[in-house]
Amino acid sequence: MSNIVNIFLLLLAPGLPLLLAIPALRRRVPWPAHLALLPTIVLLFLPGSFSVELPWILWGNAGMGIDTGARWWLAISVVIWAASASCLQTPDRRGAGNRLTTLFLLTLVGQIGGILATDMVSFFTFMTLMGYAFIGLLIDGGDEKTRRAGRIYLVLLILADIALFEALLIAARSTDDLGYEAVALAIPPSPSSALYLSMVIAGFALKAGFWPLHVWLPLAYGSARPAVALLLWVVPVGTGLFGAVRWLPLGELSAPIAGTLLQALGVAGILYALLFKVMRAQWKQLPAHTAIIAVGMFAMGLGTGLLDPAVWNQYGHLVPVFVAAVGLALAIMIAAFVWLEKREVFPSESDREALWLERWAKDIIRWGRRAGGDTLPELCALWLARWDSFWQAFTWQELFDAGEYLLQRWELAITLFLLLGMVSVALLWLDATSVL
Amino acid sequence: MNWETALPLLIVLSSLIPGLIIFFLAEKQVVARITLNMAAALIKLALVGVMLWGVFHGHHYEIRLPFLPGLDLVLRADPLSMLFVTLSASLWLATTVYAIGYLEDSPNRSRFFGFFSLCVTATVGLALAGNLLTFVLFYELLTLTTYPLVVHRGTEVARLAGRKYLIYTVGGGALLLLATVWLYTLAGTLEFTARGFLSGLDAVHYPALIIIFVLLIAGLGVKAALIPFHGWLPQAMVAPAPVSALLHAVAVVKAGAFGIVRVVYDVFGIEFAASLGVTLPLAILASATIIYGSLRALFQDDLKRRLAFSTVSQVSYIVLGVAVAGPIATIGGLVHLVHQGVQKITLFFCAGILAETLGIHKISEMNGVGRRMPWTMAAFTIGAFGMIGAPPLAGFISKWYLGLGALDAGQNWVIFILAASSLLNAAYFLPILYRAWFKAPPASWPDERSFGKRETAWALLAPAVITAALTLGLGLLASMPYSPLEWVRFITEQEYAP
Repeated sequence: MSNIVNIFLLLLAPGLPLLLAIPALRRRVPWPAHLALLPTIVLLFLPGSFSVELPWILWGNAGMGIDTGARWWLAISVVIWAASASCLQTPDRRGAGNRLTTLFLLTLVGQIGGILATDMVSFFTFMTLMGYAFIGLLIDGGDEKTRRAGRIYLVLLILADIALFEALLIAARSTDDLGYEAVALAIPPSPSSALYLSMVIAGFALKAGFWPLHVWLPLAYGSARPAVALLLWVVPVGTGLFGAVRWLPLGELSAPIAGTLLQALGVAGILYALLFKVMRAQWKQLPAHTAIIAVGMFAMGLGTGLLDPAVWNQYGHLVPVFVAAVGLALAIMIAAFVWLEKREVFPSESDREALWLERWAKDIIRWGRRAGGDTLPELCALWLARWDSFWQAFTWQELFDAGEYLLQRWELAITLFLLLGMVSVALLWLDATSVL
Repeated sequence: MNWETALPLLIVLSSLIPGLIIFFLAEKQVVARITLNMAAALIKLALVGVMLWGVFHGHHYEIRLPFLPGLDLVLRADPLSMLFVTLSASLWLATTVYAIGYLEDSPNRSRFFGFFSLCVTATVGLALAGNLLTFVLFYELLTLTTYPLVVHRGTEVARLAGRKYLIYTVGGGALLLLATVWLYTLAGTLEFTARGFLSGLDAVHYPALIIIFVLLIAGLGVKAALIPFHGWLPQAMVAPAPVSALLHAVAVVKAGAFGIVRVVYDVFGIEFAASLGVTLPLAILASATIIYGSLRALFQDDLKRRLAFSTVSQVSYIVLGVAVAGPIATIGGLVHLVHQGVQKITLFFCAGILAETLGIHKISEMNGVGRRMPWTMAAFTIGAFGMIGAPPLAGFISKWYLGLGALDAGQNWVIFILAASSLLNAAYFLPILYRAWFKAPPASWPDERSFGKRETAWALLAPAVITAALTLGLGLLASMPYSPLEWVRFITEQEYAP
């Protein structure tokens, strides 16, 4: 009997918010965002670990379950989601408010489902839903800064999904069972382990905003509404970190290169935030830089775990506690800032003076422009059109302008894509003969 | 004639006879026309259901009609043909409901629905064809029955598009016929056979077989919209939305892709084709089409043109899955035959709804349309994410098996094609969703029609919502018994059985 209740609650935890996400079904339901959390809260208090297999879903080995690790992540998630749901309530239950609630609930489905997933494919599925719904939540009714944060995060999310999809394929080549434990055992002896690690680290670094891929975090924290700012840690960042812990064969595999790389990234992220950002950040961006520091520490921990599996086996169980503590600290920080802002305690925000390093970078760009970078398209157009009419010159000019505009608009995406492509090609080339 | 010989013929006749009757109905006989259309679609679906059950349980359905000395017209049900027949019959029902709503009050409906039924007759006949000759005949019939649908509106643009369509497809048909005749002179048979019927030929014929393969692929590639034979497809967008849905998801494009599957598996045999060295060029051609179609889609402002170039790209996944030899990639390619159809028909239904209800034809006109038409745009969103390959939608299942199959076959480069394609799909679909859901709507729509409290006519909305739900269901419940994925596994097990 209790087993049936457990299974029912496991399915209801993401299922109820999914149902309530349909506007027609929640029209007469009071406090739908809070109500959606109820099955998860009950689940938290059920003793022991249990799981359910879902034979018809996707490839037939999907499943959901809860264990000690997942319980911690779920606990901090519930607290933050409840706080966020309270901030979300608006007098306007129609129009934009209605859509916001849908996006909120879809994000909740993805996050709770991701934590409860017992296999990589289910996790990937829930995380994809969470990512896209969260972008909607972030940019809905936001200003240009928020939309920019959303655009950057969207690009990172797509690249991350591609990297993780490739990791999934590699894992599926090593084992038929894509449950976390089976994969953790199958990857270490596999010749594709290096490629798998690279893809997983790249994917979750993009999702969780590891330095230097954190650009969207300060923008999002600085401009998002409090309800969304509260979620930034547990949803995109926290679930990304959770995924890294679940997908990496921590405690089973020693990977010195990947471990050292992660440690280096962690140290760089911490130093960057501490030395260049924290002291001169706007108040609303302080949680972002705190999050970057915490992610850096987390990356160092992951790196250590990959360097020495024994250390991970001894201390790995503390990771959810760390994430929960950071989550609570950030939530309190955001709440305090909102409270102080309402009382107009803060002086008006303005950009502080740029650091010498940034001033140098800006100067170099400005000199480059003065040296002719800006006029290059016009010159090219004139040269190309020197044998023909004015209209051809005009057309060429338009073409260059369009190209330049496209490059400017997508410069980050193009850069990231090229970087990812180069890394992937290099890794594939290195592994090609022996691995696949 | 017993039940097992009659059933394939009945399935073909179930749309042929109503189609011919519909031609003679007056424009005002709306009830009779709707009844005939719906009854035919439902009867066909029921007959297909019976045949599907029978094929799964090992029954043999075949009918032979003498045609030429030594060559019969053959209709035969095998697992592969049933996949296509089931897809066509199911989506025909949805498209019929949609077309009834779409063409309400428009002229020449009897002519439209008559050709509409004949088009499905040709598609089903082509799917059930037991030899290459029967396939070619129905393939040509498909060209002739879809041409009047493309030019249905009778405008100058429609006539130009129709002419282009005819030139391309008749040209493709001629190549196909030439290759078929040549093949018959070499092999002495045209019967579709598991693992092909050419591997026993003398090696001296191999150069000729390679040329025949190229001719067949060129002939079929026209309808499958492989580059450089894709030019007709974006032009054909002038046709009414139900025709576009039919062209892209049920009939024409799919007929080309299905033909390529038949040629590779049941004419040449995948192992023999690989030994001839023709599968790698085919995979490269498919990959080039995937990337080219996506790049072209990126720059289209016309919604249906963007969807058309998306079809150019997406249909080549089927060809890619076939060309990357191996059972897993085959699963990916074949299951995409169904998945792409369901997803793409959803998108075309939605494009038609937007055009009919608000007069929206361009993506730049779609700002805030999600607020005005939430159900339509929710269906469109599911279809678009399915195309991108987001889990747990149908497109994800296809991409998963294609990727895994490529790794299994040692063709790792295909992974990069899939990754680039996903990225491009996201680049041309997500901006549409952003506009629709997050931008402010304009003060007025280009050409708005009122449907009272509803966002549009139920006959238009219901098929779109149902196919969107199918897009979700086919992915989420992929391992359910009788799902397309399970059926394709069943086909592949037979094809690759030791």
